[in-house]
Parts: sequence; structure tokens; C-alpha cells
Amino acid sequence: MFALSKRRFIQLAGLSIANRIVPNRLCGAAKQASAGRKVIIVTFGGGVRYAETFAPEGLRNIPRLVEMKPRGLFFRSCANAGVLSHYNSTASILTGNWQRVDDFGFQPPASPTIFEYYRKATGAGPTDAWAIATNKSFSMIGAGSGRDLGQPYGPNLVLPKQLLLEAVQGAAAKNADAGVANRENVLRHLETILSEGYEGVGWTIFKAGRQLDRAVRETLAHALVEYINGPEAPSSGDELTFFIAREVMREFAPRLMLVNFWDMDVAHWGSYSLYLQAITKTDRLTGMLWEEIQSNPSYKDKTTLLILPELGRDGDINAANGFLNHRSGDASCRNMWMLARGAGVPAGDIERPVFHVDLAATAGELLGIKAGEMTGRPMREILS
Amino acid sequence: MAGGSKLSPALQALVDKGLFDRLPATFSTFFFEQMQDWETLFPAERNYHERLFTLLDRSDPAMVEGLFEPLRRIEQTMGVNEKNWPRRHFTLDQVDFLNRSPRYPEWRKAVADIFARLDPLLEDEITRAGHSRLVVVIAPAELPVGPDRMWLRIRQHGKRIPLEAPEDVGDYLPLLLTGAGRKDAASSIAAKYATKGEAYDAWAVEAGGSLADAGAERVVALSYERLRDYRARLMSEVRHIVETQEVRGPRQLSAKLKDLKIRASEGDVSRDPVLAEFARAILLSGNGTLLVNNTFVEWSTVQAVRRARPSVAIVSFGIRNKIKPFSSLLIYADQDTTNPIPTQMDTLGTYVDLEIFYQYIWQEFEKYAEYRRNTAYLFVGEGMDELLAIAPPDFPLPAATKPTKLAEVFASMKDWMNL
Repeated sequence: MFALSKRRFIQLAGLSIANRIVPNRLCGAAKQASAGRKVIIVTFGGGVRYAETFAPEGLRNIPRLVEMKPRGLFFRSCANAGVLSHYNSTASILTGNWQRVDDFGFQPPASPTIFEYYRKATGAGPTDAWAIATNKSFSMIGAGSGRDLGQPYGPNLVLPKQLLLEAVQGAAAKNADAGVANRENVLRHLETILSEGYEGVGWTIFKAGRQLDRAVRETLAHALVEYINGPEAPSSGDELTFFIAREVMREFAPRLMLVNFWDMDVAHWGSYSLYLQAITKTDRLTGMLWEEIQSNPSYKDKTTLLILPELGRDGDINAANGFLNHRSGDASCRNMWMLARGAGVPAGDIERPVFHVDLAATAGELLGIKAGEMTGRPMREILS
Repeated sequence: MAGGSKLSPALQALVDKGLFDRLPATFSTFFFEQMQDWETLFPAERNYHERLFTLLDRSDPAMVEGLFEPLRRIEQTMGVNEKNWPRRHFTLDQVDFLNRSPRYPEWRKAVADIFARLDPLLEDEITRAGHSRLVVVIAPAELPVGPDRMWLRIRQHGKRIPLEAPEDVGDYLPLLLTGAGRKDAASSIAAKYATKGEAYDAWAVEAGGSLADAGAERVVALSYERLRDYRARLMSEVRHIVETQEVRGPRQLSAKLKDLKIRASEGDVSRDPVLAEFARAILLSGNGTLLVNNTFVEWSTVQAVRRARPSVAIVSFGIRNKIKPFSSLLIYADQDTTNPIPTQMDTLGTYVDLEIFYQYIWQEFEKYAEYRRNTAYLFVGEGMDELLAIAPPDFPLPAATKPTKLAEVFASMKDWMNL
């Protein structure tokens, strides 16, 4: 029954083995891009406090990061001095300037992102810069509102959770008796979504040509179907994001990528145990991403991985409601850490405080490009 | 007043004489907006507003000017003006304005500094009129740990008291809260206090529905379980609003949610407009109160403390269900109906959740002058042979050398509350 559904899905979605073969020009672009240093920024995200991560009592939640830290460069203080919303915080990381646009993603960042600078400076194609985000309000985060750069230089942007959400909601709405846990049901709706089109349901694929869009979409959609059917079926948005990120790395080997994890924002539900579980899961997925870098020839020994939470959460003392929220502006919300690991990065602990806006400037230097005006400054310790 | 809500004569007089117009816009507008809902404010909130603004009115104008001068200066640098900050209208747009301002941390500090000077003056009156208060926090019987693993974040502030638990666990809470066994159906400590206290002075907040049975009419009884129909309707209506894209974003959604009031058939709190609005606000606050029973209990308690300042609060948690696959994607869906996987209890997860909630609840009470130095907190695990007491030295719980009976604990609570 399962296999039948899968076959039917592939037929309906118009996917075939032929479509798995990436067009030659895509392969060429990927090969060309792999020549230089690659940068992957991971927002260890959704909001997590020092207390549950690199504070002594938090180490048990992040065994993979603890394992990675001794051979990486650990910045003890990486501060978010901007707006404490997910969108503005992440946009600040990507632009190198503190962003103060709409908190809920209804506006693009006010200044260019590192994706735009990178693509403009190098002439890299759209498959060489990707943003994969669990947070489904991030559809406009890839490119700023400026006229000189903007969308034409933005990244391919995928919102995997939104894609799955549409499928799950469709299944729940149309067949409430069977329930959403019925994977057949979910797949049926996923089929419909994928065959109906992707705009507005999780994909903002760069429009460099309809043919290219389709190829990219079909390649990933096919893999997604395999994944959902497979033994590692996802149970959360971040698992889906990891999977898409890994597929992108394998298929397109981009030089610049943002992987936005977000599930630990489940803390808003008020369950500390679910929050801790999400942290541990994000830790595991980050570890798996590092393993992929190590095992993928396009990335091994030429990739710098930059891992940081985009924001913290309110402290336990004198805050509105502690870990549930992240708006108080106290130190627990703002003071985070950053871990750099990979090609050319020395091992060590850095006391010097750095800021979220320093990430884009650092990524620019790692990629060998001259970015525009940024508040942030390159982290010289990574570059030395 | 807009919205047809009538202020007290004293406060209306202060509005009429222009007090609010003389204060910095970000400060006065916030309070003015809160007072728009005067009829759905608790007596403690009304009293606070009256005391705060009366204090400002009767104080030396030069002193008041000096108090607010730093805030005025920051407002100027933030660009607060009549256009982006219309007098007497505080909406999510204003919240957004503050959040996005580079000066927001300075603004927060300036406001905190103002209250650091006002609060001691306001609290003096409260402290002078202080009286004994009681908070009982109950953990469910199914927790997979013993008392040695309970209340770890706060136990250093109190004392563990050995208990003589009854043979029938069903008698445990009745003995503790009423002093008698289940079959006697006696009045609870909250009900006894409610008969002599002011309105909204005794609360029973619970995940299940058993405390409400032991309540009396004057006890504010909030039960996650008993609000099930209201919760189901709210989830359905919110999902409909979101799915049909009737709203553009959270700000617009928030305005729509204001209209989703509880119906008479959905719970007893509908009979009281103050409590009806309280229940609506709790369930639609944006956190997990619609979905997670213990979040509802914790947030209801925290809000009750902030807003109503009860003298007696019985807070009873339950066991949270496990989160089902895919359901994290469906925030406004009833997991029990949309997912055929049998519902399972998450006892270990609940234990972890509650350990931090005990701390948050205790801290919240202790933020307010009403509770400091005169409140007895009893943290209890149903069926457990120990409780944690954080109480002033004169709380009459026996300095037990042998296990205390639950009926004796009840008697101590009764003495403490002068009942």
C-alpha cells in the first residue's frame, strides 16, 4: 500500500528518474563554485539561552556541540543588540546591520544580505547561494529592499516546514477521521501541493528561468518524498530543514548557505521538557550537518561552519515568564555564543565580545568578497 | 472614556484635570489604554491605578517632572510624536514601535527607574494593610519521582515536612484542602476563606476538574478541563481565521481575537464579565495555554497574581500528554481529534516542566509587597509523604519530629488564615 502510494505520487507529481538528473549547466555551476572557500551559517535557533547550552548546567543538552568545540573557535560572548524577534535577528546576521523591519517577515531586510554581495561580487549563479529556513515567515529574508542589489542577487530560499504544513493541514481538513498521522493522507496532499505549484507554499526559488526553477524544485521534491517515506521520516520542521540542506549540498554544493533551525521556539508552548528536547535535536542535526561537511568532497577541508543562536530567551529571574518568551531584553535574551569550525579556523576560546552583525562581515572575508557598508566587523580571530 | 467603560470618580477627575496629558506619552498612553477596560479590571488593578495616579497628582510637580524627565528625553530621541503615538491609543503598533526602536533598552531602563522610585511609596500602603496569605501548589500523583527529586529549584528556601499519607490516595487532597475525607465533602480552605474575603480573593486554578467540586460560589475556579468546549471553539475559530487569510499578521489577528468571548454554555466564568475576559485573555495570549494544560495553569496563576492579588490560591497541575507526530505543525488543532494515535501521558516530561513552574510561580508571588513575608507556600505532590513549606517563621506547621497528618496541615492553614 505504501509503495503504491509512492509510485502514484511520483506519477502525479510528474517526477521521474530523468528529472533527478540535474541539467548539465547546473552541474557545471556546482563544480565551478566548489573551487573556493564555502561558508555555512547555522542559526541554532528559535531562541535558546546560555543556561541550556554552554553554561555548565546546559552542556548535557548539547553533546554534539560540546564534542565539536575543542577543535573549533568558540566566542564566549556573541551579542544580539538588535530587535529580539526571529526575523530581525536573523536578518541582522545576514546583513551585518541591525535590522528593525517588520517582526513577522512582511518586509525584506532594509540593507543587502551577504547573499546579494556574494552573488554580485562573484557573478555566482542562483544555485550557489541558498537559505533553508524552518521559520515559515522567512520568505523575504534572502534579499534586502535596496535597488542596486535586491531579489536578482538573492539566494534560493526554501521553507520546508511550510511545504509540509500545507500537506498536513490539507490532510487534517479533508479527512479528519483518518487523522494527520496517517502518512498516506499527508502524502496525498503533498502530491496535490507539489503538482499545483510551489509559490506561496514554501518555495521562493530564484526565478532565473522557469526551466531552472522546475529542475531545482523537482530534484528536491523527489528527495523529499523519498525521505518522508523512508526510515528517517521527519517528525519536526528542523529535521526537514536539515534534510533539504543536505540535499542542496549534495546536488548543488553551494558556496554560501544559511540553515535556519527553529524548533526550540516550542518553548512558547510553556513546556520546558519540549524545549530541552528541541535543543538536543538541533544539536544532533547540527552534528549531522558537520558530518555531511566532512564526508562530502565538495565541502571537506574547504568549508567554514558558523553556528550561533539568533537570540536567547528571557531569564528565570524577574522576567515576564522566563524561558517561554524572548522580549525582555535582559542579558539572557541578548548574550549568546558563536562557534566557528572548519577550514582554516584555529581552535580556541575567545573572550573578546563579538556581535551578531559581525557574522556577515566575516562571511564576506571568508568568501573573498568586498561587501558593502556594514555595522559589523570581521572576526579577525577566524580569519587569521 | 472610549469603549463605554466608566472610570472611578477619583480617576475620572484626574483624567479631566489633564494629569495624563502632562505625563510622557509612552507612559500615560499605556495606562490610559488599560483603563479603557475598567469594567473588566479586577479590584486590585483598579485600586493600583487609583493609588498610582493619585500619588502622582498629589506629589510636588517639580518632583514629578524630574521623575519623568529622563523618559521624556528618550521619547524625543525615539521620535515619539502625536502622529506615531496618538494620545490615549495604545495598540500593538505602539508595542511594535518600541520593540523596533534602537533606544528600546534605554526606554525600558527609564521606565524601570521610574517604578523603582514609585513602587516603594505605593508598597508602603500595601505593607501596612498586609495580612496572611496562602498558596498551595499541587503536583499530580502520576509523577515518576519521589519527594527527594521534587522542588529542586526552590527547596533551599523552605523546609521539607514529612507527612502521614492516607491509605486511600483519593482522600489525599480532600484531607489536605478540607481537613476531611472525600466522602465528607467538606468545604475547602479556599471556600472557607472566600466567604469572609473580598471578591476574587480566593482562587482554584487546575488542569483537571476536581477542585471546582469542592469550591464555593465565591471561589474563582478556573479549570483547563472544564473550559474544553471554549478551547475547542477558540482553536477552530482561530484556525479558520488564519487559514482563510482573513488577517494579514499577528497584529490583525490580535484584534480579531478580542471578539472571541466565552459563551454561557462553555463555562461558569462566563457569568462574570471580569472572569470571562480573564479566561479569554489567558487562552489567547499567544503561548501554549490553549494546548498544554500545565501552561494554562501556570499562566493563569501568574496573571491572577499580577492582576487580582488573591489571598488564597490553590494551584493544581496535571499530567501533560505527549506531543504527537506532525502536531507541532498544527498549533490551533485539537490533537485528540486530528490525530488517531492514542493519547499518551508524558509523566517524565511533566515532571521536568513542573520543576521550573514551581520556581516561576513562587517568584511571581514574591514580586509583590502583598505576599512578601506574610505568605505560606505549600508545595505538595499528591500521594507523597513529604511536602515543601516556604513560609514565615510564625506559620504554625509543626516542627515535626514525626510525620504530620494531612488534616493537621489543613488545621495549620486554617489557623494561618484566621479561619
